[in-house]
Amino acid sequence: MAVTPALTVLILGAGVVAGAFGATLGLGGGIFLVPFLNLVVGLPITVAAAISLTTVIATSSSVSAARAGHRLINLRLGMALEVATAAGSLGGGITAQLLSEDTIRRLFAVMMGIIALLMLRTLNQRVAIPGTAVDPGVLGGRFDDPQNGGVVAYRVKRLPLALLMSFIAGNVSSLLGIGGGVIKVPVLNAWCGVPLRAAAATSAFMIGVTATAGAIIYYGNGQLIPALAAAAVLGVQAGSWLGLRIGERASNKVLKMVMAAVMLVVAAIMAVRGQR
Amino acid sequence: MNGHAAQDAKLERVIRTILKIGVAASGAFLAVGLVWSLTATGSATAAMLMTIGLMILMATPISRVAASVVEYTVQRDWPFVLLTSIVLLEIVASVIAALVFHRRL
Repeated sequence: MAVTPALTVLILGAGVVAGAFGATLGLGGGIFLVPFLNLVVGLPITVAAAISLTTVIATSSSVSAARAGHRLINLRLGMALEVATAAGSLGGGITAQLLSEDTIRRLFAVMMGIIALLMLRTLNQRVAIPGTAVDPGVLGGRFDDPQNGGVVAYRVKRLPLALLMSFIAGNVSSLLGIGGGVIKVPVLNAWCGVPLRAAAATSAFMIGVTATAGAIIYYGNGQLIPALAAAAVLGVQAGSWLGLRIGERASNKVLKMVMAAVMLVVAAIMAVRGQR
Repeated sequence: MNGHAAQDAKLERVIRTILKIGVAASGAFLAVGLVWSLTATGSATAAMLMTIGLMILMATPISRVAASVVEYTVQRDWPFVLLTSIVLLEIVASVIAALVFHRRL
């Protein structure tokens, strides 16, 4: 496909919209960008995933640069789990070269459906906060929580489970071009004892390395088109910036319900396209 | 544990600096390259600027892993030297995989 200025501007705009929704919903832009690039623009799914991965890297770096220094990112846990996410990502990048377009699109549809259902399930979620008198150990952490008026300390439980889910998240990330936080964060929070905000910050920190391992493989295989990636990265960066500002005012519950419905429809379209 | 906390805080500042520089530099190359490519279609310079921007983008997380290897080595925290080194090796492995697939085409 020829890279025209019109196409570049279209992808820039799509990046803004995907970034804004991604930041508002805490999902990242990839889950919206990949279907758009594949179904609307008509790019092969591997090319769409490659572009999306570069936006994941950019989002991870900029979000983590802003958060670092507030102890919310658990560096040691992140570094340990990155061993698993990068390995998964390496596997996913290789798998993407071997699977057919239809198969990857169907996998994406399944993942998108799961994410939409997860989003509906957590509509009224109140986050459980652990106590403060905990020895965090080597991998645990402590951070200041203004909402709770104190320091939150936590220990990491079930590390093997966290490693396994990180491996799967890395795999899905580079195969489908999404961050993979949607897989790690709920598990780290629900089963591994990591408070939601710390889990989300640590996951966002990790996905830069995860996505890089995958993006390199796409780049080497000529599936990363620089002009389109540049447009998407800049668009998503601008969109996330907007989303974080607008998101405060938007009604999260209604937005989540609408977006979940949209995602289920898009997932169905992708699944049907995959059948041809 | 307190000594670790202070050193971890230092590593966090180093990482923040690396990420900030990486985001700013890659953003600048990508933005200039993109605007250039829109005004002069097919410009080789524009394509080069955007490729450099993407290279910096991908080098940023790799750099912060490398910085972590160095910092944990200074701390003599060998388990974390090992973990962060494995992550670097996995990135090297993906470069090798990229070359393998490149040659197959």
